[in-house]
Amino acid sequence: MLQDRTKNTGGFSPAPDDGLIICRCEEITKGEIRRAIQDGLLTLTELRRFLRAGMGLCQGQTCGRLVKSILARELGVPPAALEPVVSRAPVRPVEMQVLARDQEIDHD
Amino acid sequence: MQRCDLIVIGAGPAGLSAAVEAARQGMRVTVYDENARPGGQLFKQIHKFFGSREHKAKIRGIRIGEELLQEASAAGVQVELDAVVTGIFADKEVTVRQGERMLRRKADTLIIATGASENMTSFENWTLPGVIGAGAAQTMMNLHGVRPGEKILMLGSGNVGLVVGFQLLQAGCQVVAVADALPGIGGYGVHAAKLARCGVPFYTAHTIVRAEGVERVTGAVIGAIDQNWHIVPDSEKHFDVDTICLAVGLSPMSRLCGLAGCVMEDNPQKAGLVPVVDALGETSVPGIFAAGDVSGIEEASSAMIEGRIAGLAAAHRMGFMASSALDARLAELTGALASLRAGMFAPGSKGKVFTHTAEGCALSASLLRRGFVADEEIDRYPGVTRARGVHPVLECTQNIPCNPCADACPRQCITVGADGGTITALPVFDAARGCTGCGLCVAACSGQAIFLVDEEAGEITLPYEFLPLPQKGEQGMALGRDGQPVCPAEVVAVRTSAAFDKTNLLTIRVPAEYAGRARFYRKER
Repeated sequence: MLQDRTKNTGGFSPAPDDGLIICRCEEITKGEIRRAIQDGLLTLTELRRFLRAGMGLCQGQTCGRLVKSILARELGVPPAALEPVVSRAPVRPVEMQVLARDQEIDHD
Repeated sequence: MQRCDLIVIGAGPAGLSAAVEAARQGMRVTVYDENARPGGQLFKQIHKFFGSREHKAKIRGIRIGEELLQEASAAGVQVELDAVVTGIFADKEVTVRQGERMLRRKADTLIIATGASENMTSFENWTLPGVIGAGAAQTMMNLHGVRPGEKILMLGSGNVGLVVGFQLLQAGCQVVAVADALPGIGGYGVHAAKLARCGVPFYTAHTIVRAEGVERVTGAVIGAIDQNWHIVPDSEKHFDVDTICLAVGLSPMSRLCGLAGCVMEDNPQKAGLVPVVDALGETSVPGIFAAGDVSGIEEASSAMIEGRIAGLAAAHRMGFMASSALDARLAELTGALASLRAGMFAPGSKGKVFTHTAEGCALSASLLRRGFVADEEIDRYPGVTRARGVHPVLECTQNIPCNPCADACPRQCITVGADGGTITALPVFDAARGCTGCGLCVAACSGQAIFLVDEEAGEITLPYEFLPLPQKGEQGMALGRDGQPVCPAEVVAVRTSAAFDKTNLLTIRVPAEYAGRARFYRKER
């Protein structure tokens, strides 16, 4: 499912709730997300990489659905029609020191 | 690297059920769960489950959790806690973070039973302390014995919002209102009715406008919404609350399935992104199964059956079970699953608008909008009858797969779906069989919708799950289905019994003309 990049999404127009924080972990507002979409970031994965929304401690468990609904509304498509975010390990945050010890400890 | 026959990810109702079935077939099974305690949500579920005996109906979730753990231990399942599966890689290798270590484990089959996470909704000041998920409220109350707040607004009237709302009342909180953006209450009518008769108001077609407060929540404002989801001008209502509880749905936690390479679908009927599975729960990757909420949001009862099916299927795939033995078990389990997926609230009924029950009774408009069946509506349901002497009044008005009342009656006075009918039928009382007033049906009804009524004596026996218990001889107020005072009442009996499983039976006496309306009791006059 490829996102049509030629579609006119209307451009950014300010809204009264643009200041609302959507991603709590990384403190990204609704306005920042809407502006990024209108600047041409048209998939959930792109938004994640560009804004870090969903990249914090909860890994998008809280805001994932909210970001998805904002993107769907800006693009004028149903949320289920959007390309899902790519799953990547580790699916839960792990400290670097724990990951680094992976090699030395467990080969039992 | 340690190997076993089956790795189950998630020790909730689906995962534990899967592990038990597979281990009983001789598989070496390890279950990993990221939490400190097993059981998933079961140990927060202090209410009685719906369904039939085979679905563990009328047993409280917490007891079902204990039983499952005992079964798992007896079957030789190894349950690893504080063990976070962080990834699934080629050839069913998983990485597990346990304590300060990363472990690599491998199995021939995997069952992903990671459950769901709560949805959030954004509104002005939603990041203030005091805005919490309903699941969080339940964890605080039922696992840690902490009240989440004193005065609470519940957002969302699905079964989670209704069940947690009632538990908040049980914990001694004040639930100032339940609001839902949809025009009708989403959960079971019987759950809503429990809240309504305690005086909790419902605001359907209302949404939250803002949370108030600086350091933490001190209030909430809701407003009516029109068909375009815009707030109707001048419809705003303010509540003094310290807690706003969000019960706005669950999403499958299916990320590990995507990582494992399973074909996924974004399916609104299943509440989000889920792996595509066959009838046995097997994903597009051979040997990887998914069971429970991760493959579509449903009740814990269905999750347990899906888990059992996936566990057996995994055992069969690896040669631990003959096809004939599998088929025999599947016939029984798929039948049980189909009966749970019947009725007005079935996954397949999502989005359908019902106007009548299967019996042809018009549904209560008041129940859908205000949370209680209006006095003038109640007589249209088959379980609501008048008879001489004490008899049950079954205020069951929606087709839900549930029949503990029929199961409980020692004289078979109550039938659900007699003559080849279904478990979703409304219960019917047969006066000819002679009700003794034992009260077992009142205690067995998971929806607390059965009352023993003696119209001439003006005596009503109602299910009562609050502490402290009223005392015999106490004078108080009888409340109606809408939670409003009806008349003065005297407590004439308080019955508790092991057979009632902590549902106490309170008998109140009111003037005979109020016997059809008095449905709850409050001490203050």
